[in-house]
Amino acid sequence: MSTRAPIRFVDAAQDPWRALPDAAAQPLAHALLSLDQWQQLRPEWPSALAVGVVVANTVDVETLADDLPRWSLVALQFPKWTDGRAYSQARLLRARLRYGGEVRATGEVLVDMLPLLQRNGFDAALLRADQDLDAARRALKFFAGHYQGDVVQSRPLFSRIEA
Amino acid sequence: MYAYTDFDRQFVHARAAQFRDQLQRHLAGQLGEEEFRALRLQNGWYVQRHAPMLRIAVPYGELASRQLRQLARIAREFDRGYGHFTTRQNLQFNWIPLHQAADVMELLAEVDMHGIQTSGNCVRNITSDALAGIAPDEVVDPRPYCEILRQWSTLHPEFAFLPRKFKIAVIGAAEDRAAIGWHDIGLHLLKNDAGEVGFRVLAGGGMGRTPVIGALMSPFVPWQQILVFIEAIVRVYNRYGRRDNLHKARIKILIKAEGERFVEAVQREFRTILEKDAGGTEHLIPQSELDRVARHFEVPAAVRAQAPLPTESAPIADAPLAYRRWLERNVHAHRLPGHRAVTLSLKRAGQPPGDATADQMDAAAALADRFSQGELRVTHDQNLLLPWVRASDLRALWEMARQSGFATPNIGLLTDMIACPGGDFCGLANARSIPVAAAIQERFDDLDVLYDIGDIDLHISGCINSCGHHHSGHIGILGVDKDGAEWYQVTVGGSDGSTLSGSALPGKVIGPSFAADEVPDVIEALIDTYRAHRVEHERFIDTARRIGVPAFRTAADATRRATAHAEVTA
Repeated sequence: MSTRAPIRFVDAAQDPWRALPDAAAQPLAHALLSLDQWQQLRPEWPSALAVGVVVANTVDVETLADDLPRWSLVALQFPKWTDGRAYSQARLLRARLRYGGEVRATGEVLVDMLPLLQRNGFDAALLRADQDLDAARRALKFFAGHYQGDVVQSRPLFSRIEA
Repeated sequence: MYAYTDFDRQFVHARAAQFRDQLQRHLAGQLGEEEFRALRLQNGWYVQRHAPMLRIAVPYGELASRQLRQLARIAREFDRGYGHFTTRQNLQFNWIPLHQAADVMELLAEVDMHGIQTSGNCVRNITSDALAGIAPDEVVDPRPYCEILRQWSTLHPEFAFLPRKFKIAVIGAAEDRAAIGWHDIGLHLLKNDAGEVGFRVLAGGGMGRTPVIGALMSPFVPWQQILVFIEAIVRVYNRYGRRDNLHKARIKILIKAEGERFVEAVQREFRTILEKDAGGTEHLIPQSELDRVARHFEVPAAVRAQAPLPTESAPIADAPLAYRRWLERNVHAHRLPGHRAVTLSLKRAGQPPGDATADQMDAAAALADRFSQGELRVTHDQNLLLPWVRASDLRALWEMARQSGFATPNIGLLTDMIACPGGDFCGLANARSIPVAAAIQERFDDLDVLYDIGDIDLHISGCINSCGHHHSGHIGILGVDKDGAEWYQVTVGGSDGSTLSGSALPGKVIGPSFAADEVPDVIEALIDTYRAHRVEHERFIDTARRIGVPAFRTAADATRRATAHAEVTA
């Protein structure tokens, strides 16, 4: 599982995903919906139309199992960067629910979170606007490996060194 | 002792380099104080009253002499020449300027040490029994499991930002010398009827504002599954623990609120990881890994190679009283014939409990090299311990320990008190602990009196965060702030969960708080009450349980001067 590409830094200017205002909530390519909007539009959403959903960090992602196959992107949230709930959500999305689309970190996303984000299965991060990309790239390079398994490398050190 | 592998060594150096990068960005103004705060905390840097405090992890209390010498060097070159050993078996420095933080991290990494996860809202340094691997009452040596847990918890990506700090303690003996009931997770290694090794798992213990004793999560988790079971507990906590109120964020609050539903959620999560998750069985511990780690904790070769030793030391009938007392209080039984464990007391007049100067650290390292295979332990009650002492060396060790001020024969007695650094150092404290500890030391400086009082746990915390474990003291002293002045609330009858003290239990408050200068009188009144009421060889805690709070309260109230007419707000 270690073939996963390194986490991508989302460039807000180039990013195709757009929130839909409630008033104009109708199917549209690369619409980024709230969970409420998705639940409203789900019956009419064309299966070929890419959709992303913003999931609050209080949501039990296991309740989303039926919807996940239709989503191209799940945006998880860090209302504060020290609120670690979305790490568990990402892990469950990947390891338990086998979600294969983009899992994106949004909210207060700082460069020093990147190693954690990547290891928990996020593959994209929308960094807070003031974050420095050089520092972000450095942040991913300090450690050659870790003790415990994670979403990227599910085997802990003890089973890697044995092999 | 565990010996670092190349991986471990690279890892702590990588962590030091990562921290240096963060520190440089902070000092360059690119990383704000609030953001840097959480990062430095997870490396042990905690801003205090005077300077950042550095808390260094001593994993499950095991310390090598070469490490202690490096700590002495850091004390000398970067601090003001001393350090403080804590109830969580760590060491704290108080005066290291932040701009030197990364250099100190490098020096620590040179001797396989670090401050990783000694603070912050993450899984903290694992603590254990100071007699692990050498106690006669041990069923299973907890150290290999502690080391496996240390590795699992170190930079765990999912659990780096929990609602609040998370403390795990592990024991493997009949006696609980690590107060596991007071931890977020308490693990008790045991063997079932079939002789298989597993853990009795408690969770939700903790001190602070709301003292709670851990609840039973499982009576027996096979050792192979323990990482998965802990993952289940911590995940449920990470998802559902409160984050809206700092004072209600510990796992104990969640478990108290949810009760049996929490246990069911953990059991469900545990099964789901194993049955459903990709890679969910990867953290089952294979026998080969346990064996690999356990080899680090074999009896040192030099101890094994010794010819059978005489089980007793030299006759002591004509030895000095001080030596005989030291044998009685500071020397402990060992599972190997002819060996003893010896406590170096860090509780003596003129120094705060748990403090050691750089010279004392060097002296303790020298004693460890000469008498204990270069190994020491940091004990939960803030002393050092030599685990591999030959009984025949006791007299020589005593002579040398005395010269360095380590031989106060007071282990388990009133002056062997636990105390946090308090308001002299700590930014959180409401009141000072050290002067109170010193005043009590001074009041009870007569060894005959201390011996007559016998076994007693006196614990002092400078604030409700309870670093000095006042809740679990037979006598507990808690610093409180009233209108900007220092006051002290006193409790009686608390227990850490040891055999002597009975089931873990918070003490009961004996009345409104006392003024600082009343505290020694109060303690004396409590002790006098005990001596007046005790039956035969009854110990303080037993008398306290039997007669209850009123007699103590009456005696303590009689000592009030400043608070004689004071308001009744405890």
